[in-house]
Amino acid sequence: MRRDKVAKLGLALMTSALLTISAAACGGGSNDAKTGASEGAAKGGGGAKVGLAYDIGGRGDQSFNDAAARGLDKAKSELKVEGKELEASPGETDAQKEERLRLLAQGGYNPIIGIGFAYSAPMTKVAKEFPNVKFAIVDDAGAQAPNISNLTFAEHEGSFLVGAAAALKSKKNSVGFVGGVKVPLIAKFEAGFLAGAKHVKKDIKTSVQYLTNPPDMTGFNDPAKGQVAAKGMIDGGADVVYHAAGGSGGGVFKAAKEGNAMAIGVDSDQALTADAAVKDVIITSMVKRVDVAVFDFLKSFTDNTVQAGEKVYDLKAGGVDYSTTGGKVDEIKAQLDELKQKIISGEIKVSAKTGA
Amino acid sequence: MSARLRSLLLTLAAPVLAVVFAAIITSIVLSVSGHGPIETLSLMVDYGFQPRTISLTINSATTYFFAALAVAVAFRMNLFNIGVDGQYRLAAMLAAAVGGAVALPGPLHVLLIVVVAMLVGAAWAAIAGILKATRGVSEVISTIMLNFIATGIVAYLLNTDRLAVQVAGSNNIGTKHIPESGHMPGLSLIPGSGTQQVFGFVIIAILAGIAFQVLLNRTRFGFDLRATGQSESAAIASGVNVKRMVVISMVISGAVAGLVGMPQLLGASYSYGLDFPTGLGFTGIAIALLGRNHPVGIAIGALLFGFLDNSSNILQINEIPNEIVVIMQGVIVLSVVVAYELVRRYKLVAEQRRVSRELSAGGTGGPAPEGAAA
Amino acid sequence: MAVELDGITKRFPGVVANRDIHLHVRRGSVHAICGENGAGKSTLMKILYGMQRPDEGTIAVNGTKVSFGSPSDAIAVGIGMVHQHFMLADNLTVLENVVLGSEPRKGLSIDFAGARRKIKEISDAYGLGVDPDALIEDLGVGDRQRVEILKVLYRGARIIILDEPTAVLVPQEVDELFDNLRGLVREGLTVIFISHKLDEVLSVADEITVIRRGTTVQAGIDSKTVNARQLAELMVGSELPSPETRESTVTDQQALAVRDLTVRSSDGRPVVDNVSFTIHKGEVLGIAGVEGNGQAELVEAIMGMRPSTGTIALAGTDVTSLDTRRRREAGIGYVPEDRHRHGLLLEAPLWENRILGHQTRRPNSKGPWIDRAGARRDTERIVREYDVRTPGIDVAADALSGGNQQKLIVGREMSGEPVVLIASHPTRGVDVGAQAAIWDHLRAARAQGLAVLLISADLDELIGMSDTLKVILRGRLVADVDPATVTPESLGSAMTGAGEGA
Repeated sequence: MRRDKVAKLGLALMTSALLTISAAACGGGSNDAKTGASEGAAKGGGGAKVGLAYDIGGRGDQSFNDAAARGLDKAKSELKVEGKELEASPGETDAQKEERLRLLAQGGYNPIIGIGFAYSAPMTKVAKEFPNVKFAIVDDAGAQAPNISNLTFAEHEGSFLVGAAAALKSKKNSVGFVGGVKVPLIAKFEAGFLAGAKHVKKDIKTSVQYLTNPPDMTGFNDPAKGQVAAKGMIDGGADVVYHAAGGSGGGVFKAAKEGNAMAIGVDSDQALTADAAVKDVIITSMVKRVDVAVFDFLKSFTDNTVQAGEKVYDLKAGGVDYSTTGGKVDEIKAQLDELKQKIISGEIKVSAKTGA
Repeated sequence: MSARLRSLLLTLAAPVLAVVFAAIITSIVLSVSGHGPIETLSLMVDYGFQPRTISLTINSATTYFFAALAVAVAFRMNLFNIGVDGQYRLAAMLAAAVGGAVALPGPLHVLLIVVVAMLVGAAWAAIAGILKATRGVSEVISTIMLNFIATGIVAYLLNTDRLAVQVAGSNNIGTKHIPESGHMPGLSLIPGSGTQQVFGFVIIAILAGIAFQVLLNRTRFGFDLRATGQSESAAIASGVNVKRMVVISMVISGAVAGLVGMPQLLGASYSYGLDFPTGLGFTGIAIALLGRNHPVGIAIGALLFGFLDNSSNILQINEIPNEIVVIMQGVIVLSVVVAYELVRRYKLVAEQRRVSRELSAGGTGGPAPEGAAA
Repeated sequence: MAVELDGITKRFPGVVANRDIHLHVRRGSVHAICGENGAGKSTLMKILYGMQRPDEGTIAVNGTKVSFGSPSDAIAVGIGMVHQHFMLADNLTVLENVVLGSEPRKGLSIDFAGARRKIKEISDAYGLGVDPDALIEDLGVGDRQRVEILKVLYRGARIIILDEPTAVLVPQEVDELFDNLRGLVREGLTVIFISHKLDEVLSVADEITVIRRGTTVQAGIDSKTVNARQLAELMVGSELPSPETRESTVTDQQALAVRDLTVRSSDGRPVVDNVSFTIHKGEVLGIAGVEGNGQAELVEAIMGMRPSTGTIALAGTDVTSLDTRRRREAGIGYVPEDRHRHGLLLEAPLWENRILGHQTRRPNSKGPWIDRAGARRDTERIVREYDVRTPGIDVAADALSGGNQQKLIVGREMSGEPVVLIASHPTRGVDVGAQAAIWDHLRAARAQGLAVLLISADLDELIGMSDTLKVILRGRLVADVDPATVTPESLGSAMTGAGEGA
């Protein structure tokens, strides 16, 4: 009897796993179809063959993999390059990432771009084996080699500006930050945001919440959690909430809408991309131009001006910024631009660490 | 002997049937999505048998093997240790932290890390065992919950204020790098695999498999464990202290789970960071089912899964969705479970018939078709 | 004729389970099918119930030829089967169990009211006395069986097959069952009754068909024209065994002394109440009682499988504080009541079953290691000495018939020279041949000085085998009976408490 129970339980588990998997596969499949189509269109340009290695999620993740894909798409049409896109599987090891990069290099792809810090160690290794191939890695400065370009972002600087915007727009003198997963990268957003808010209003009340802790990465893709967290903050008095929570941001917007509060988007100009029903609560977004970084790198490659080492996409370089779509920050634009100039000129130094 | 051969063939029939069935399903999926099944397969095989890939496959399989073995120990006792995942992550993280904090001569350093991992895994699993023995809490529930708690603890400790350090220039954080003395040297097993060595831990895996088999089949403890798994009531009547067995087998399962992260930690990453592989415990459940809780079966299952995992890159390069790999794995496991049950029933009936046939052929004058009539 | 089976032959690979069987059952009668275990009765009934297809022969129901592909075909023509092992969900009520699988719909919901009414009607019509709202887990064995019968009637059966229905019942329940069966027949239903208990067959059946080695020995015997002895000879084709022990071998050395043993149920009620007794070497102590009066708990307490108060001494040594394993090592052998649940690992080979319960002792183990060779050798010995009919010791226990499984268990428990053997229903559900063999072995061991605690529902067995006989009622030992003088009838009434005051 017990044996039956175990077998049944096992079967049930596997079935549900399979359902999840096949659902994921359906999603993945359609994405791949898109990829194939866009690649077909780009062919014939005869430019460089670009290898793009995504992190888990790949093209279609509505987050920074997608941003990288936009950069590639732009390069395809403007620079006439070809692209090959590979994505990581959940639970894989560095060895498999390494193999992915190596396969691309062996397949004649040059340059090769790794999206996400997880490619740091694998790229360091593979770049040594292929000294004639140019590599680039997004969000990581650790991988150092004469043929690796590190494309990093000053998220804290952009966040400083939206933090200032939040403080200026807040009527209740209280703002909140919702982070997707408590990883160092997101802590940079938090640090900049809090610093910006405090900079314009010393006594402002701030609240911070992360949705999940690593290795649980679902915080980047769980709108329900985002909504609960944001609702809690709004109920607690906050009237502007900034999220750095990827796909969970949708929930934050919803909570802001229901609570008559304001929200700030992240990564892309979400007043353009978010669900139509909640667009009007988004006063601004902290844009992180991964697409620009990817495109710039590809452009430098076609121009033969690739530089190894870290290239920080900060306010100065236009890698991060705040958006103005919707006109909700027009009345404070002058103040924000002044802050922006002070950061660019170095008059204001924004720390990437919280509590500093 | 021929009966034994028959039984062996039958045992093999189930996984073979399942793989064939999975191949058919996958072919259909591939055809529907516009890819040639044969081409795809030959692509996977071509790539899979390159020396580098073989090394990679063995390395993945080594990790999977431990995960499945940990699940299998409990399975043999009818305990469902879903908590292997939490056990190995917690174990790997703490072992990595200890390994990074001390400096010892080579083998001792490795030994220390491994022992810490096994102890942590065992202790974490023991909680579920004790809860079941003393309070009757289903181990399925408690281990799922313990997975969440393990995630929380790892998240809490893996923080730059506590056990973790920021990896220079990166957005990754991890435990302190384990110094050279704590590395497990790799083996250049596969000629032509270049820099891609095989984890030295593969030897430990083989030893663990043998130890598993000896423990279960040659010792009194193993007998008690299997007896409890087959019939708890009969085990109690035979004098087995089932509650104690529950705790002990969970401890063993957890100790083996502690080894899951070791090949990767001591052979490749040398630090437990945000990018440390997760979810291996669940893959382990699938492979334990696939391998029928037998070390040889598990080894084959682990190699198969490793092979499939590693073919995901080559598929993508050739514009074939890599999700096909996951579909294949899922279908294989599902069909194996079904096929085993079918074969098990068939075997039972066949054996009953064989017994009655041999008895009636013997003509001992006893009542004839005893089993057949039952 | 309600049922006519003619020329039924069923072959399994290499075996003929049924060969040219003829069975004619009159409508409105109780027809018994008699035969040893393994004679082919069950196969025949599976064919009649559509669970198996005959290779040759015809089936006619109510004069119409039929062919069954599955039990639902059989149910459709009004055949129902009550299995030996009940198929009831413990945590559901009678009503829910009865409608399970054929729920009466009323729109989208289940029409419980209608079903309850129908169950009441059936229960009253046939005098079953079943309460539709009782929980199955609260019911006794006899009541559960009535629920099974009701379930079959509810589905419209007019021909009811009962497979060994009395195996699980005590004498009083058997009588009640037979009353119920007579009630069914009075209402025009037909009952086919499978059994190897001759007294029962003779008392309830109108006609009897005897099967031996897969074929009909004699069909449609009028039950008034035969006696038990004749029937038995038809069944086994040889002379009958008897459970009687010859001369007394009782000594004055204490083997097992139980003092003030009390076992409480989870709600604190004593299910074994202050029981004391002593068994001497060479003595068989029989415990008679209606099932459920604490016998199972008493045995489990002595085995250390169930918490209890009081003391237990084995050959003068106090074993009260020892766990089951230690008690077994100290010399208690145990033939459990339910061999499938407590006596065997069904999917394990015979030689591994030899180890079960004797894990720590030679020849099965050496230190922490299992001694495969030793265990296998000793299994061969048991198979030989106890006449376990098996092609080898590598077959799974499941593949053996009940009698052979039981012989293996008895052989195992007798090995290692036990001081005491606790034998719970040692011959339940085994065929006549195995029964005689088991009795012989018990007697031989007794002569060697073994003390036996015998618990049985078979009163002949109890009276025949025991040197001393005690009656258990509601957890207490209420009477001592002299097995030399007592009759099954007077023992039966003592068991129900009728003789308590006397």
